[in-house]
Amino acid sequence: MHALVQGLILGVLTGGVYALMASGQTLVFGIMKVVNLAQGALVILGAYLSYQLFVSYGIDPFLAIPVTTAVMFALGVGVHLAFLRPLRREDRAELSLLVTFAVALLIEGVIGVVWSTTRRSINTSYANDSWTVAGYQITVVRFAAFALSAGALGLLILVLHRTRFGRAVRATVQNPESARLLGVRAERVAALGFGLGAATAAAAGAVYGLLYPFNAGSHYDLISLLLSIVVLGGLGSIGGAIAGAMIISVSSAVVASTISPSWAPMTFFVLLLAVLLVRPQGLFGRPA
Amino acid sequence: MSDLLRVDGLRKSFGGVTAVDDCSLTVAEGTVTALIGPNGSGKTTLFDLITGYRKPDAGRVVFAGRDVTGRSPGPLYRAGLSRTFQQARVFPQLTVVENLVAAAGHRWWHLAAPRVSAADRRRAETLLAEFDLTGDADKIAAELSYGRRKLLEFAALLMSAPRLVLLDEPTAGVNPVLVERMEQHVRSRHAAGVTFLIVEHDLSFVMRLCDPIIVLDAGRPISEGDPDTVQADPRVLDAYLGG
Amino acid sequence: MRAAGMRAAGVVKGGLFVLALAVLPLLGLPHWVLNMLVFVLMFAALSSAWNLVGGLAGYPSLGHAAFFGIGAYAFALLLHRQAELTDGWPPFAWLPAVGVGAALLGVPIAAIAMRTRADVFAIVTITLLFVVQTLAFNLRGLTGGAQGLSFPVAPFPADTFERPFYYVLLALLVLAMLLTYGALRSKVGLALATVRGDEDKARGLGVPVAGVKVLAFAVSVGLTAMVGAVWAYYQVGIIYPQFAVDPLVTIAVVLMAFLGGRGTLWGPVLGAVLLEGGQQYLAYEIGASQFYLIAYAMIFLLIMLALPRGVLPSLAGRLR
Repeated sequence: MHALVQGLILGVLTGGVYALMASGQTLVFGIMKVVNLAQGALVILGAYLSYQLFVSYGIDPFLAIPVTTAVMFALGVGVHLAFLRPLRREDRAELSLLVTFAVALLIEGVIGVVWSTTRRSINTSYANDSWTVAGYQITVVRFAAFALSAGALGLLILVLHRTRFGRAVRATVQNPESARLLGVRAERVAALGFGLGAATAAAAGAVYGLLYPFNAGSHYDLISLLLSIVVLGGLGSIGGAIAGAMIISVSSAVVASTISPSWAPMTFFVLLLAVLLVRPQGLFGRPA
Repeated sequence: MSDLLRVDGLRKSFGGVTAVDDCSLTVAEGTVTALIGPNGSGKTTLFDLITGYRKPDAGRVVFAGRDVTGRSPGPLYRAGLSRTFQQARVFPQLTVVENLVAAAGHRWWHLAAPRVSAADRRRAETLLAEFDLTGDADKIAAELSYGRRKLLEFAALLMSAPRLVLLDEPTAGVNPVLVERMEQHVRSRHAAGVTFLIVEHDLSFVMRLCDPIIVLDAGRPISEGDPDTVQADPRVLDAYLGG
Repeated sequence: MRAAGMRAAGVVKGGLFVLALAVLPLLGLPHWVLNMLVFVLMFAALSSAWNLVGGLAGYPSLGHAAFFGIGAYAFALLLHRQAELTDGWPPFAWLPAVGVGAALLGVPIAAIAMRTRADVFAIVTITLLFVVQTLAFNLRGLTGGAQGLSFPVAPFPADTFERPFYYVLLALLVLAMLLTYGALRSKVGLALATVRGDEDKARGLGVPVAGVKVLAFAVSVGLTAMVGAVWAYYQVGIIYPQFAVDPLVTIAVVLMAFLGGRGTLWGPVLGAVLLEGGQQYLAYEIGASQFYLIAYAMIFLLIMLALPRGVLPSLAGRLR
């Protein structure tokens, strides 16, 4: 029982971080109908950037977030302009999978060249602190990560619902044709949307680096997890990304703590298949 | 004349909008029936519901005496109910002949059968000759002009020898010469026994060709009759002019 | 008749191709050349197999390496437990069993994963890949985990060691190409082409969309698993999870099909020859893995952006 609740707590706290990463991913899909296979690599890149700022200048990753998000926002826009915009519309859906995968490999290669392949982790002074609440352990870092993710997600949702850009994004997601007729510049929204996705990766990367050791190849595990989350939640739906992240994170953590860590990855695959069996469009997705 | 198609109390809503609202109508066998109405009156949605592309929230669809409500388009196609789409849908990377053969409604489980057998080719060529598309036989469908693609779409579904054909705006975006050909083909097939239900905005086309005419507004029929009756009906004018 | 003439020409071309390849190992070429040829054949077979579902059906699977790995481990396990199970049987005779087993495994996966749109399908296959890789690492009792799974080395004479593998892979390539050829020329191919063109419309015309998709997937993964099995045997006595289930294998295979022209018969083969040759050269010249990755990714991107249709269809388009 204790293990179950501990797993639950862990799952919820970690789920917040994954929700942030996944929201960027699902947003890009909603706008462009593009599955961004580089999102995992972007998160890892964010982790490395935070790591470097911490190691070189002693800046705490949380404080470095404004810098890293700005940098990666620009990077995201750049990637979109260089590799996605040139694709013709009819090829875009098919080729974007491969193109973004190539971008992921490119990022992995660059990381490997700049930082070599040794595992890194961001060891702040509070990295090993934890609180004990009602007999359950809650690490400070995990809690702070959750708080940051929740805040960042809140900010994202605010941007989407209260700014002109956000409205343009939502219109494009719901009905690209109408949005275009109403004067929304689709390509601009797409580029900025991709940048926004990269920005969420930067923020998530900072906290990811605090929680887990990472190296250039870590993006593979991440991307498969993220993909399962967004498909489960429904491609294009941020609420779905949050729900999916929580469901998968909690169930994996519970399985890991009560049964065995070896079977945890299987959990999310089984969940994914189960949901797709009943609802091919995901929990909050729109039917094809 | 019996009713080939009967629709009873069909209803379909999307979010807060009721596209088809307690709609009941019949299409008698052997007619060229028109379905007209202002934009947003639910015509295409009605087509989607009848042909199984969408499931209704309520109501029934009866085709040739059998209840086919909610059945998927494939079995309906085999049973003789086919449709075209507003934006002409063909298989763009296949040749014209292949498009026709794909629509012939085969027993596909003869998997080893040749892609386009000699018999398939002959049938396709006969139809192409009728539609004056013989020169395009081996062209990729994407290379055809929009109007010819619409003709192709129409011709293709005739390969399955349908009883009822639903045409969704067959003249939209098509030049007048091809419109006339479209009309001829409808007439000649009609003479051969095919029933048509046509959604159209081109009212002169409708008045020349169709009888009866059903007028749809806000998801339900508001008038029905021959061209003269419908033209004179004040409710129809209201629907087109009103808000 | 023109069509029969073309068909005859095609058969002759294919026959010459197979003959030429069959003769190569007998020419006394150095081992590193034969080794490279083995890998070219391997990737050509993999790419042709992938083409069935990724090219003909239009469903780009990004997880085929999972089935490659399943085939590899299945075969290694068979060899590992040799005495009890395979007593007296030549190991390669077990290939069809591996292939059929993988195909059967592929049926339920396809049935669920292919109900969705093509990109969701790709995602499910990627997830499958990583789950299989993780299981390969975690199920230590079965697979030996990170330590690898060992099995008796293939008992072929050292100076012609590559030959049996070469010929088996050639046979698998021919099988893959025959199946592709058969599919393209039959109603199956037409059905797959309609699925690729406009799946909803195809369904509306009564085409058995679900059936052909699952069929294409099952055949494709069955072939892939058999190639994986041969690869495993080629590794001298031990296989490791990160190589048996390697996402780069999937990407290489997909890239080859794209480069040569997906949906065509010879495209994947051409792509494999070009890319595997190029890859071996790159690995030789650059070596250090991270630069290699960057170069690979850049070439990849260049091909995607410059030749979205692939070499063969672009050439065909120009000749028309």
